[in-house]
Amino acid sequence: MHGRVKVRTTEEEKARKEKERQEKLKIFKHAMQKIFHKRKESELDKELLELTGKVLSSNPDIYTLWNIRREILIIFAKTYESEELSQLYDAELNLTEYCLKINPKSYCAWHQREWVLTTRTDPNWEIELGLCSKYLKFDERNFHTWDYRRFVVSQCKPPLKDEFDFTTEKLLDNFSNYSAWHYRSKMLVELFPDLEGGRPIEDSHHKHELKMVQSAAFTDPDDTSAWFYQRWLLGAVRMDVQVVVYVMTPSKTTVAFSKPVDQSVVDSRTRLFHNNELLNGEWQSCSGNHYDVLWIFKSNAVVSEEVKLEFQMEDGHLQALPSIKMNETKYVGKSSISFKRKYSKPVVEELNNQLESCRQLLAMEPDNKWTLLTTTVFLHCIDAKKYHKEVLENLRTLKVIDKLRAGYYSDLITQWSVEDQLVTDYATDSLDYKIKFDEKIISLPHFQYYSHCENVDLSNQDLDSSVLPALVMLQHCKTLSLENNKLTTLNKFPQLNIEELNLRGNKRLLVEEVEQFKKNNKNCTIIF
Amino acid sequence: MDDDLPTDFQVIVVGTGMVESIVAAACSRIGKNVLHLDSSDHYGGLWASYNFDGLQKFIKEVNSDPKRQLQVYNLAEKWYIEKASAEESKAEGEEKPEDGKGEPAKKVWTQDSFAAEYRKFNIDMTPKLLFSRGPLVELLISSNIARYAEFRCVTRVLTWLSDKLMPVPCSRADVFATEAVGIVEKRQLMKMLTSIVGYNEEEMNNEFKDWNDKTFKEYLTHKGLTPNLIHYVLSAIAGGTNSMPCLEGVKECKKFLMSLGRYGNTPFLWPMYGSGELPQCFCRLCAVFGGVYCLNRPIDKVQTKTADDGKTVVTIDSKSKTLNCDHLVIGINECPKDLISPEPAESCDISKAVFITNGSIMKSDKEPLTLLRFPPLTDEDNAVTVLEVGPATGSCPKGLFVVYFITNKVKDAESDLMPIAEKIFDMSGGDQTADTEKPKCLWSLFYNVKDTSAPVASTVDSVHVCSGPDAGLDFDRAVEQAEQIFKKICPGQEFLPRAPDPEEIVFEDDVTHGPEFQREDEDAEGDAPKE
Repeated sequence: MHGRVKVRTTEEEKARKEKERQEKLKIFKHAMQKIFHKRKESELDKELLELTGKVLSSNPDIYTLWNIRREILIIFAKTYESEELSQLYDAELNLTEYCLKINPKSYCAWHQREWVLTTRTDPNWEIELGLCSKYLKFDERNFHTWDYRRFVVSQCKPPLKDEFDFTTEKLLDNFSNYSAWHYRSKMLVELFPDLEGGRPIEDSHHKHELKMVQSAAFTDPDDTSAWFYQRWLLGAVRMDVQVVVYVMTPSKTTVAFSKPVDQSVVDSRTRLFHNNELLNGEWQSCSGNHYDVLWIFKSNAVVSEEVKLEFQMEDGHLQALPSIKMNETKYVGKSSISFKRKYSKPVVEELNNQLESCRQLLAMEPDNKWTLLTTTVFLHCIDAKKYHKEVLENLRTLKVIDKLRAGYYSDLITQWSVEDQLVTDYATDSLDYKIKFDEKIISLPHFQYYSHCENVDLSNQDLDSSVLPALVMLQHCKTLSLENNKLTTLNKFPQLNIEELNLRGNKRLLVEEVEQFKKNNKNCTIIF
Repeated sequence: MDDDLPTDFQVIVVGTGMVESIVAAACSRIGKNVLHLDSSDHYGGLWASYNFDGLQKFIKEVNSDPKRQLQVYNLAEKWYIEKASAEESKAEGEEKPEDGKGEPAKKVWTQDSFAAEYRKFNIDMTPKLLFSRGPLVELLISSNIARYAEFRCVTRVLTWLSDKLMPVPCSRADVFATEAVGIVEKRQLMKMLTSIVGYNEEEMNNEFKDWNDKTFKEYLTHKGLTPNLIHYVLSAIAGGTNSMPCLEGVKECKKFLMSLGRYGNTPFLWPMYGSGELPQCFCRLCAVFGGVYCLNRPIDKVQTKTADDGKTVVTIDSKSKTLNCDHLVIGINECPKDLISPEPAESCDISKAVFITNGSIMKSDKEPLTLLRFPPLTDEDNAVTVLEVGPATGSCPKGLFVVYFITNKVKDAESDLMPIAEKIFDMSGGDQTADTEKPKCLWSLFYNVKDTSAPVASTVDSVHVCSGPDAGLDFDRAVEQAEQIFKKICPGQEFLPRAPDPEEIVFEDDVTHGPEFQREDEDAEGDAPKE
């Protein structure tokens, strides 16, 4: 037919592409060969710079070539005039920018750029910041660019407010952006620290952020980035480390902290007194880890009279903890504890508002997992004690409607129930520990709080063998019951001076293993 | 000169409107021998864009020719600015750079300065948007005609609520950012929108089985949406009124939502230099594949005769020449009455208006491109579609905006549209530099267009009549009709298959590739295979 355009068939096209590919491969191999040859001969010159540049501009991820280029540039830096050198560095930046166009997630190209800027004496940071903004416009979630931006900002120190506003802008474009939320959180604590109350963020901004993140969460509850930021915001309350309980007996002295602390904190800020006399000794972590919640005090002192502990808190306050004589040789000191998060009044008001919105939504869609979970978290954060029953009820519902995360909800049930009981337990002087709620626990949170107990009853729970290492906290325990749990092995059972251990009703525990365990622990009566 | 034109074609297309142009391109693309004629000196017919001078000619033409007033009538042009500036010489034509937020002093426009910059105007007779995932966009991509056109994203969708203009949160980012709706409403809105998009056919049937004879508004109310949200969804997103049937509303919403997130923050694209560019893109493809073009070529007479082999041939007399073809594709406004069967039923005509203003209807950081769906002011009125385009679209000089109003006619264009113009513009004329809340209207044109959008059949099988523009927002009906006509002319053939790019085309002596030759010369060009 007249005038019709002839178009290549796919076969022809394929053959042509293949031919082109082979051609390219030939050129590539040739170039690489030449590069390695030149380097071997120590010909680190402009020609090699040009060769590597050409290969990199279509294959930006060959890091060896970037390394060679750095070698060359380092040599040039020794001899070249500053003006010429500056031009070379500019050319290098142009090359990386060209490569980043091809692959915006090229680790080596970003790294090369960083190297050039930290090496040259005349870096232009403004251009770099502009470059970041440009690349974040192309892909607002490219974490390479965010990372590089943090580097640039650390060097040129633009007003933090500008950076904060930049995250706002990016989030308004698309709030599914972990990098932007994260960066924002870093700016937030820098920009708006609470000077009065010692909280991480100033009230009005804490409130503003809570509002913003709730807006995101309600717009698209299935997007997790906002929820994580919300969790961070709710958790942004200062919880200072303190000593929760210490025990002194002739054979062993232990101190339990609310959070893991390292050796230096224990060494320098914890002091034990006997009759107002400072005791000398050495601190040892209970688990052998660098950070630990329970520390053992090794000392030769014989304790017979009044014992006292002092702990220098982070905010400078001194926590002084007297002890009670439990029997002839045992002294126990317990602090008053609370798991209540101390939000400021305006923030609590905001939380209550948001709780109200959540409840409205829940009335409309009772089975929405995210709404229910958020409601539950709010309830817990606002007043864990008051709402404890409702919280547990919600978590039980969540286990049903969000089966895939049932384990997570069980864990929350365990943790929050344990916290609830702990406060009551600490009001008594008992040396016994027994779970007093109906929910079965699956883990042993805050277990160091019970390090002073002598009789620990963990029977009829859902504990499996993964909790065994945590038993190391029971440094003063005499009888321990793990009856009717889900233990499968005793492999990780720590070394303890227990007199009686009840392992009955752990159906999957092998008889042979228990027998062996008995042999290894002759001083202990084992019931099985 | 006329003698150069061959006389026998497989397909002759008369009129360069949207439907005609698509059919011409489709026929030419699969190898049909096509002649494309237009009686006027420009492309597009009623779908055309004019510069300011061309528009003046058009107005004059219509006002002086009673025949044309059958299509376009009630034409009323009005100036709100002086003929010439008192202190002419100074600021004239001088363009001040718009640097960010600091607004430069407003230019004082005169009729003369419009005339001086007449070429910077591209004013549409049939302004329309494209849905980002609508049939026209898909067709432009699949046929590779998109390379002939450029587009800009509509930046915002506005509505009129509680007596003021409000942005409509239509995308995820909008819903997140807006402060106009409460937190619970955000969830409700997103839930409604995502469920409408997400329903598969079965869920659709299930959810809407009892809603056949009810309105969309009743459905939204039933779902517990607040009045604000109902307004957004019904009026701004579905583009409907209180009486919109439920299923139609759902369909319109879905169309809107499905087009979100492809190109910009709204579901719409606007063609650079106006909607009138689009018919020309199709004409260009037609010409690339050998179509012959002849403007300024009115036709006098259409007849049919039976050829020797028994085939029906359509003959056209034009400028004392007889042209023959197997198929005639003809725009309804060019078509002799006797070929149309039956006469199209009297339909509701279209009221339109164009305004040129000295600012956007709602201020914004960057130059906006706006769709405003103005809800009916009273129960008798219709909703009005408002499109505002600025200099970045190539529609007007810097500092101005062109605003189009389109609605179904109730009384006449001016009575139908003036009340709305008064709400969003300052129609009082006067000092242009004054800092008014509403932009000043500098020039306006009201007109009615006969609605020729209903498909009509012809009395002859090989004559295909193309509809004129409708009052709708998009080109979808034109695309649909063009495909139907093409299928009748070329049954079983593919509709606008992808046109090859230049590098895919094989030329007679395509042996050596230029680049290869070069490469061999240059030693070790570092161009390795890329994965």
